[in-house]
Amino acid sequence: MMVRGTLKWRQAIALLGLLGGPTLFLGVFFLGPLVIMLIYSWLEPGLYGGVVWNFYHLNYGRIFGWANTRYEQFDPAYLRIFARSIWLALCTVGLSLAICYPAAFWISRQPEWRKNLFIFLITLPFFVSLIVRLFAWVLLLRPTGFINQALMGLGIVDQPLEMIFTGFAVVLGMVYIFIPFMFLPVYASVEKLDMAMVEASFDLGAGRWQTFRRVILPMTLPGVIGGSIIVFIPSLGNFIVPSLLGGAKVMMIGNLIEQQFLSARNWPFGAALSMVVMATVLVLLLVYVRQMTREDRAVAAAPEPTGDMR
Amino acid sequence: MQKSRKTARTSAATSALAMALAVVVAPAAAEGRLNLYNWGDYINPEVLQRFSEEFDVEVTLDTYGTNEEMLAKIQAGATGYDIVFPSVWMHDVMFNLGLLAKTGIGSHPDFKNIDQTFIRAKTDPQAEYCLPYAWGSVGIVYNKKVVDTPIKGWADLFAVAEAGKKVILLDDPRETIGIGHIMNGTSVNSVDEEEVVKATDYIIERIGDVSAFTYDSIPLVQSGDVAAAHWYVGANIFVSQMPDILEYVIPEEGATIYQEDMCVLESAPNRENAIKFLEFYLRPEIAALNVAQQMNGTPNIPALELIPEEIANNETIYPPQEVMERLQIFHDLGEDIRLYAREWRRLKTAAQ
Repeated sequence: MMVRGTLKWRQAIALLGLLGGPTLFLGVFFLGPLVIMLIYSWLEPGLYGGVVWNFYHLNYGRIFGWANTRYEQFDPAYLRIFARSIWLALCTVGLSLAICYPAAFWISRQPEWRKNLFIFLITLPFFVSLIVRLFAWVLLLRPTGFINQALMGLGIVDQPLEMIFTGFAVVLGMVYIFIPFMFLPVYASVEKLDMAMVEASFDLGAGRWQTFRRVILPMTLPGVIGGSIIVFIPSLGNFIVPSLLGGAKVMMIGNLIEQQFLSARNWPFGAALSMVVMATVLVLLLVYVRQMTREDRAVAAAPEPTGDMR
Repeated sequence: MQKSRKTARTSAATSALAMALAVVVAPAAAEGRLNLYNWGDYINPEVLQRFSEEFDVEVTLDTYGTNEEMLAKIQAGATGYDIVFPSVWMHDVMFNLGLLAKTGIGSHPDFKNIDQTFIRAKTDPQAEYCLPYAWGSVGIVYNKKVVDTPIKGWADLFAVAEAGKKVILLDDPRETIGIGHIMNGTSVNSVDEEEVVKATDYIIERIGDVSAFTYDSIPLVQSGDVAAAHWYVGANIFVSQMPDILEYVIPEEGATIYQEDMCVLESAPNRENAIKFLEFYLRPEIAALNVAQQMNGTPNIPALELIPEEIANNETIYPPQEVMERLQIFHDLGEDIRLYAREWRRLKTAAQ
């Protein structure tokens, strides 16, 4: 008993040592700010930014429909902006997946040195400031920019295409930024895919489509979903791309929040909007985690191994 | 609310990413220190150099992109800064928040150099706190090769837009709704709900013809991708580089004017040096040195004799009295700023 007790105690110490640091870090730098935002979202806005410590529900009232005063008016536009942000984020996820999924298969079939080269190339844009890269897109997309000049030079179009300051430019910019975030998780699961399984599927008489749908897709799904989440969340809150490439005409929820904290001097309303975004993301993540654990349980027919030392 | 005073380098996005650029000017083994917190590209580095050498002080310069950004940082407890450069309405706000230190600059003998009409802050009528620093109009910069007839005002700007050419407005609630106020003949400081709604409607009715709301419009006007843009008097710097292509005008219907004051913070660690700097800046030759590089307005009367002729004679920088009378300056609106925030959101969602 004594020995077991000490062992357990040692394990507990080791666990504390391993998890203590990250837990403290998350507590201070993640939970702390989150709690501040949650509290602020229920307070009255201060005159020059900041908050007044009075309970105030109209911040949410403006979003969900019960506010009606001079400054705080319900407006369905907030939910519309929110819905459009979700739509643009979904477009970003879809397009970047469509690019990364085939690319991951192709790269995973290359010899080792080439694989490493391509992965290096995909992460290469991180070496240059985001702002500089987005300004480069402004130069490419504008009417006298490279793309329009090339298309007109080739006689494909006679008038410059309207590309800059549109929703198209915003999605393009976000796909461009987030491709590495999609590629790396997708690649990690594609790389692990056992080709013997695919051969087995063919041997057992499955066609190409069936093999893809029943074997390849389920086995690479964790990477696809992981990548989609990592791309979806920052796309939803992005405000730099809409302000640079969308010309601030394409308003996303991130721009609305930024405006509340700066020019509108209304921190609580900005906090309330952030809370709504965060709640949406959390609900989506919870659904995903529940789905995953349910599948895991279905797969693992055997009872879970216990951690006890026997 | 104006993001960039002089060039397009400090854009909305770069300030959002907090790319703080610190400049240090120091003679060898300087005795004292002075820390400035100013808009990006809003003071001639030579002015700092001269002060540093004469008073044996190490001068550092940090920059910000908006009044709100500066206030948020000071309110959050940033210490170490001695001098800030708020717009007049923000000067009032900071005074009300007790953030400014009394300097007595208004009773300095050299203060007679300053044109009294530039003592604009309501909370500081005797200039006991801050020194009027620089000013300029917010008008229209356009590409002469793209438009058929010269643009004279806002009506022409929107006519160009309606004819299918691209125009850009500032991504700033008060400046852009302000155009609607000017065209409707109401004050840009109106807090009458109906007037603000009508001013916003003026822009919304024309929003289909506006390509974008951004500060980063100069390169697009230069290349001709955009015919005209709502921009600051600092556009004259680019006009002087490309005089055949660009032109800056103060709209004939009226426009807004900005002015920044030089203020010492209550929390300034080097208050003595800060006051010395304010006094130093009262000298006509120093104010003129700044204007020569900044190409904006100075309230220092004798300095006007010393600035380069092409700047002094430029009527878009130093407009005649009758034009000055058509320029309006923003006041702090207190809580009513939220009325503008609400209408601004309505305007932006109408764009889609």
